[in-house]
Amino acid sequence: MNPERFRVMVSTVLLVGVSVSALLIAAGFAAAFAVGWQGSLAGAAPAVPALDATDFADLPSRLLTMEPLAISQLGLLTLLATPVLRVAASVVGFALEGDRLYTGITLLVLCVLLASIFVLR
Amino acid sequence: MSLEADLGIFVMSIAAGLIGSLAGVGGGILVIPVLTTFFGVDIRLAVGASIVSVIATSSGAASAYVRDRVTDMRVGMFLELATTTGAVCGALLAAVVAPAFLYLLLGAVVLLSAGMQMSRLAEEFPPQLAASRLALALKLSSSYPDRRLGLEVPYSARRIPLGFVLMWIAGAVSGLLGIGSGVLKVLAMDTAMRLPMKVSSATSNFMIGVTAAASAGIYLGRGDVDPRIAAPVALGVLLGAVIGARLLHHVSNRSVRLIFVPVLIAVGLEMIGRGLGLSI
Repeated sequence: MNPERFRVMVSTVLLVGVSVSALLIAAGFAAAFAVGWQGSLAGAAPAVPALDATDFADLPSRLLTMEPLAISQLGLLTLLATPVLRVAASVVGFALEGDRLYTGITLLVLCVLLASIFVLR
Repeated sequence: MSLEADLGIFVMSIAAGLIGSLAGVGGGILVIPVLTTFFGVDIRLAVGASIVSVIATSSGAASAYVRDRVTDMRVGMFLELATTTGAVCGALLAAVVAPAFLYLLLGAVVLLSAGMQMSRLAEEFPPQLAASRLALALKLSSSYPDRRLGLEVPYSARRIPLGFVLMWIAGAVSGLLGIGSGVLKVLAMDTAMRLPMKVSSATSNFMIGVTAAASAGIYLGRGDVDPRIAAPVALGVLLGAVIGARLLHHVSNRSVRLIFVPVLIAVGLEMIGRGLGLSI
């Protein structure tokens, strides 16, 4: 892979991550104007009425009832995952470029990053 | 939080994203005080929103900076090795180090460097010297296209071990204090490694998202991310960052420094304030 294509790939990962998250957050934000943050676009009563807005649990089931809050939460999660995906894409990019030193360095960064997210609590 | 207030937060966040993407910082320094002072948001939720804003600034602007070859991806990845391990150590150390002392120390360092930046205001490019052996081995020499001047500007990283250590400290500080530490990253690349200012701010911008992602999971799990605040912040900051990334090409390295200095002074004063126990 030449450096130019590598740059385009990393740039595209960032652009897609940002766009998808912005669309989801904006959809949730706009829906909140229509039915309120705790409402439901599906017309059904919220699964858990007095839900704490900072609780990201039960996201799949709350997405089914189209809660504005849940749609925004999914967008925020996508945003938080974007830098991690960018590092993962860089591992692939450096490997395809045949740069062993930087494939190793980037892989190490990815491991530390994943460990900090999933292990260190 | 009323929906009208959400709109106000959205507009304020556009400015934060714009300044953050140009200066290579996350914009948290602007987001946190405005949210707590003008919108009466709890400090805990303001910090959660700030972490989101750091990732939004970083990802929103980095896409353009990477494509336009202003970000040095090798410098960024190499130094992320220092910031991520530093962040993990910082998070583990948080229990034994007094944050007040750290805030005071950092505040003093940041204010001092504001003075140094002022003295370097006239400098458009760092002096070009032959690449060191370490820079060659680590491939930390490159060039970036300066569209404003219509030039391809070559550069090579100097004092790489010092830059690496400073980056480790920047990572440890963000793990300890829960801040993005973009200011320290720009200083390490600009002042210690002598990279051109635009490359320093674009590469810092590229890196802060990863540093923030390392701690974002912890904030999320703690219940510090409230979408009613974080959603307008994320949208506004993204928009500001995308506009900022377009602007960078049309300003001089000197102007980027001029934007960076007030950010340094604000960060320095805020840290000293926090160290003295004043809530901002």
